[in-house]
Amino acid sequence: MSNEIDFDEILGKYRLDPYNYVDIFSSQTGVVNFKVEKGNGVEAPGGEWMHIPGTALYQITRERNPKIVGSPINGIVSELHAELEGQFVEAGEKLMTIRHPLKKKEIIENILQEVLYLFPAPEKAKYFFSLDIQARIEKKGARSVIIKPGEEIFTMSLMKRDTPVFYNGEQGAIHSIYFKPGISIDQGEPLIGVCALEKLPLIQKVITRVRAEWDNMS
Amino acid sequence: MAAYRLSADGLKSYITEIELPMRRAGSLPGVTETIFRYGAFVGSVITHYPKLDRAMTHARGHIAVAEQENRSVANGTTIIADYLTGSKGRFTRTWHAPAGGLWGSIIYVNTLLPRSRLLLPLAVGVACCEALRDSGAKKSVIRWINDVLVDGLKIGGFLMESFHGADSGEEFFLIGFGINVNNMAFPDALKDLATSLSRHLGHSLDLEIFTYCFLAKLQWNIGLLYFEEEHFSKEGHWLRSGGRHCLLDRWSELSDSVGKQVVFGFDVVKKPQFEAKVIGISDDGGLQLSLNDGTVITEYSGEIRYI
Repeated sequence: MSNEIDFDEILGKYRLDPYNYVDIFSSQTGVVNFKVEKGNGVEAPGGEWMHIPGTALYQITRERNPKIVGSPINGIVSELHAELEGQFVEAGEKLMTIRHPLKKKEIIENILQEVLYLFPAPEKAKYFFSLDIQARIEKKGARSVIIKPGEEIFTMSLMKRDTPVFYNGEQGAIHSIYFKPGISIDQGEPLIGVCALEKLPLIQKVITRVRAEWDNMS
Repeated sequence: MAAYRLSADGLKSYITEIELPMRRAGSLPGVTETIFRYGAFVGSVITHYPKLDRAMTHARGHIAVAEQENRSVANGTTIIADYLTGSKGRFTRTWHAPAGGLWGSIIYVNTLLPRSRLLLPLAVGVACCEALRDSGAKKSVIRWINDVLVDGLKIGGFLMESFHGADSGEEFFLIGFGINVNNMAFPDALKDLATSLSRHLGHSLDLEIFTYCFLAKLQWNIGLLYFEEEHFSKEGHWLRSGGRHCLLDRWSELSDSVGKQVVFGFDVVKKPQFEAKVIGISDDGGLQLSLNDGTVITEYSGEIRYI
């Protein structure tokens, strides 16, 4: 978590290349068949509960069991390892890259993620705030809720098994919430971004500066 | 207070005399003893109380004391109370646990691989449904994940919580169970939603025998998880070559969820999310749903109600 941000350098970087490059890796071992070509546009999952899968990117077949994998994000297929078509791949093999155009809100979040402490999801599961944290959020708003290491902040729910999740980052306010109750979160994805109290002015500065300058940049 | 004391020895006798011969005559005769050996930790210690506040809370306290004293907790320790004074269901739901029912929790130290671990809640539902059917409630069915119903009314429900021991770092699972056996009266809020075995059958049952029956089924079905896990590791396929995990097959035989139109929600009572049709169960126990717009999704967390 840094205390200083070189705004000109960071904004200059986004001005030059306002994209995220998302690498897509094979989800398991199996034979790959691509469903897209380089240059194709792809859509992210949609629907009220993100239940409509993204554009089909590839099919992977293991033990005669084919599985279609959808795009996690919208954008353009900027790189494709076409030589893997019809080949057997190991889990984690890079298959393609999607170039995702960033919106102003996403740029703010990207910069904030360099300042905030991001608390990741320990497993792919659904998460909800612990009763105590939820009550405090409802009463005061998330950004007024201070959490400390060792505090129970979430309940993780998977196959009707509920597991308390304890916070292990530095003390601070819940600045950003990246999950919605009832929607599955992948392992390692951030659940919340926590900000030490003394860094709140810096956060505000990031937001104000990007909002003010982004419209001129694009 | 019950006139009997449940014990690990009583469970062993039940398994030797009743469950083992029945399983030998069943669909997996060559591996019966092996499966029971894998599941034998269930009920290795049974403590039976006249009453408790919550069995889950008592189990947590039992683990905490053992860890403070630098002792291990016996895997499969089963805590049973004749009635509970502070029982609750998932979220903030109430659970009525008067005398006559089977109420308790099992302490399980997780040693399953992640793929098998996902199926543990299904094993609990299968055990309950099998015990109810063996006791005469032939129409008992499982509603995903592991609610057990008879004639559309809930008769058995389960909670599962997991956490790491503060000192040992062990991953403990607490499996809470509540089965309406001989309890006849229900509060107004539940009387149209729940029933008991005695209500359904029109006569009461021997609760001691039913308890042993349920625990014996649990030994078998949890043992099956370990057995299949080992078989897959060695052979690269489940016991029934080309087929599915034996537990999933059994769950599918006992469940009426597939084909049903349902409402789904993480907390379906308070916040129903969408309607869908159940089209199957995935190899890792997820619920496969077809939405009204034709999208097919698999859910691993949440609950359903039939429409």
